[in-house]
Amino acid sequence: MPLLGNFCLLFALALAIYCFVVGVIAAVSKNAVGYRLAETARRAGMASFVAVLLAAVALVYSALTDDFSVAYILHHSNRALPAPYKFAVLWSGQEGSMLFWALLLSCYGFVLRLRHKVDQRLVAMASMVLAGIQVFFLILVNFVAKPFGMMDRVVADGNGLNPLLQYPEMVIHPPMLYLGYVGVSVPFAFALAALIMRYPGEKWIHLTRKWTMIAWCFQSVGILLGAHWAYAVLGWGGYWGWDPVENASLLPWLSGTAFLHSVMMQEKRGMMKVWNIWLIFITFMLSILGTLLTRAGLVSSVHAFAQSSIGPWFTTLLGVVFAVCLIFYIKNRDHLKAENKLESLVSRESSFLFNNLVLLGACFAVLCGTLFPILSEAVRGVKMNLGAPFYNKVMIPIGLFLIFLTGVGPLLAWRSTSYGSIKRNFAIPATVSFTVMVTLMVVWYRSGIRFWTDLNQIYALLSFTLGTLVTATIASEFIRGGRVLQNKLQTNLLAGVYLLMRRNMRRYGGYVVHFGVVLVIIGLAGTAFNKDQEKELGVADSMQIGHYELRNQEYTQDDNANYRSEAALLDVYKDGKYLTRLNPEERWFKASGGQPVHIVANYSTLVEDLYVIYEGSPNGHPFIKALVNPLVNWIWIGVLVIIFGTGMALVPNAAPVTAQVPKAVAVSAMEKQGMRAAGVSE
Amino acid sequence: MKRLMRILVLPFALVLLMGADNQEARYQNIGGKIMCTCGCAQMLLKCNHVGCPNSAQMIKELRTNVNQTSNDEEVLNWFRKNWGITAVVEPSTHGFELLAWLLPIAGMGIGLLLVLLVIRSWRLRPATVAAGDMNLAPELEAMRDRARRETEI
Repeated sequence: MPLLGNFCLLFALALAIYCFVVGVIAAVSKNAVGYRLAETARRAGMASFVAVLLAAVALVYSALTDDFSVAYILHHSNRALPAPYKFAVLWSGQEGSMLFWALLLSCYGFVLRLRHKVDQRLVAMASMVLAGIQVFFLILVNFVAKPFGMMDRVVADGNGLNPLLQYPEMVIHPPMLYLGYVGVSVPFAFALAALIMRYPGEKWIHLTRKWTMIAWCFQSVGILLGAHWAYAVLGWGGYWGWDPVENASLLPWLSGTAFLHSVMMQEKRGMMKVWNIWLIFITFMLSILGTLLTRAGLVSSVHAFAQSSIGPWFTTLLGVVFAVCLIFYIKNRDHLKAENKLESLVSRESSFLFNNLVLLGACFAVLCGTLFPILSEAVRGVKMNLGAPFYNKVMIPIGLFLIFLTGVGPLLAWRSTSYGSIKRNFAIPATVSFTVMVTLMVVWYRSGIRFWTDLNQIYALLSFTLGTLVTATIASEFIRGGRVLQNKLQTNLLAGVYLLMRRNMRRYGGYVVHFGVVLVIIGLAGTAFNKDQEKELGVADSMQIGHYELRNQEYTQDDNANYRSEAALLDVYKDGKYLTRLNPEERWFKASGGQPVHIVANYSTLVEDLYVIYEGSPNGHPFIKALVNPLVNWIWIGVLVIIFGTGMALVPNAAPVTAQVPKAVAVSAMEKQGMRAAGVSE
Repeated sequence: MKRLMRILVLPFALVLLMGADNQEARYQNIGGKIMCTCGCAQMLLKCNHVGCPNSAQMIKELRTNVNQTSNDEEVLNWFRKNWGITAVVEPSTHGFELLAWLLPIAGMGIGLLLVLLVIRSWRLRPATVAAGDMNLAPELEAMRDRARRETEI
């Protein structure tokens, strides 16, 4: 199998090089021979996917059959590892994850090349760009980070998978993230291809819209699954620690979100062409930069990424990509002139501009914070890592302003919005959100929460208020549009709203995504009210946290082939009433030299989570840390809503219902105006 | 409208201007800016590493400092001096570390300036007329298309 894997990788590299080189030749020669060459390049590109897929299958097979003659399998697997985690070995180490990246890239390329008939010239050029990226990753897996490197001696068992990765979500979280980041390559390839070809119009945007949205959705889900994994596995009670690896995943997401918004300006008004091209270039480069930061050991992270020699390769890729983008931009920038001008500051266009400013400002702030240790080391000789307090101070106000724009933007019309329209559109959402704010202030005051003494609680109040503003805005958009159709088609409001959505799935899907973001924000705002308590509990001892009482019934020990464990059995009472039993646990994985992992016990409701950690038993009794984390579940629900909204936005629109006009009348009316009858739609 | 804006802005301003501190909140707040130095890569108050050689000592020192010193920055400086500058993960507001605070603000400021310049140039630029024949029907058709796109109906 390792031999087959190696051969497939080499073959895939040869095919990708052919696809790239012949693609360039075909692009230069614009005759029939060029067309035929482009077709062979396309087929070579598609075949490269099959070759990389076979290599990936060979690696997974080696993991499943415990082939420890392969160094990668030896370092990342062991005999006792459950089968699903053996499958996850494919992306749990450096070499495997590079192969996985190459696999996803060639898979995206395969689908793109398969659908070449949508626009053969543009797809051929995009395929050539994609092949260039494929060549880079295939060189890496063939010569630098080899997944099929062989051991020079036979070893009975492997070192095992990192215990922190032995969690069900780790089987899906990395593929989601990779699908997102690799997915950005497709719109990048189309954008660069369109720029190189001076491709007229906005067709490349229409063609890549679905790709961009799918990639963005995968990124969002991947990031939030990672947050959920951190919450469930790392056992510190939080889900986001502003670690460099987390930041690296957030950077392209922020610029990608900015792109998804600003691209609408180009589609609808022919504006911001330069901006959009550079946004997608930057998004692609940020996904490469993230990989460089975390894998080259430039910044330290709690995540288990080894320092390696692939850093210079990624630096080179980044440099080459930037140079190519810059050269073609300078050469063809006259092609990117805006078709329209901004007619009013109070318009949807302006709101998109500010939305982009805030998103990119947030991206820049995260980038500064992530790169600060490098700067600090260069200037002071000490790597000073910036932690959550810095990011929270910088990012929360930016985030709040962004939610405000999310609430205001949809109420502004394209081109210009009149004062009367603002007044009419804002009255209800503003009143509702103001009422919610005042109500919250009163309720909190009455329940003893002195929110004005804690900045986090003030931020929480603002988050709830602005979240309500966004929700009210979205609701008013649905209801207003639904009412128009209700009156026009003589139907009920619900049917009106449904028809409204079906007519413009992208717009209303986008609103649903915004609502999902509001739910995530509500979940995040709950952090301001977290409580925690720590206690050593002997048998029959108890501890109190909030409304909950935890009584230690007993504690147990277990030993199996994969790990040794200790757990406490805690009965949970709420206001004196029995609720459930929780078993927080600590595991020591044998293959990893006894590295401890906390298995958190979580009693989760929509209101709050009772999150219990077994911290160890230094004196023979379990040391228990309990946290009450309000509203956390809304984050995960928000993710589901975001997925649903993105799915909605990807569904094609239904044809609009039009009023029937007798043909004779229409033709006669048009003839009177000197118009051609051919313009009448039947 | 102005009245509505005032009603909306006033409570936000009041809420933001308010801010009293008590010792427990200060302890939590400052503790959230200090990292446990045992190598667990966790914040001091979140360190769940039983038998940690440093966190108990650091937490004790934090309590003492919070009670003795009214200035939060002084407490953080004490930790920088005694546990190394990497123990505090929030940059200070002077010297080289000030740069960490200034960079995002400068970035946003330059971005805002650029946006305003872009808006200005757009407003001054005349709209481009699309090329093509000037027959009434295609033009009307184009206008219709534009109206459809821009009104999204």
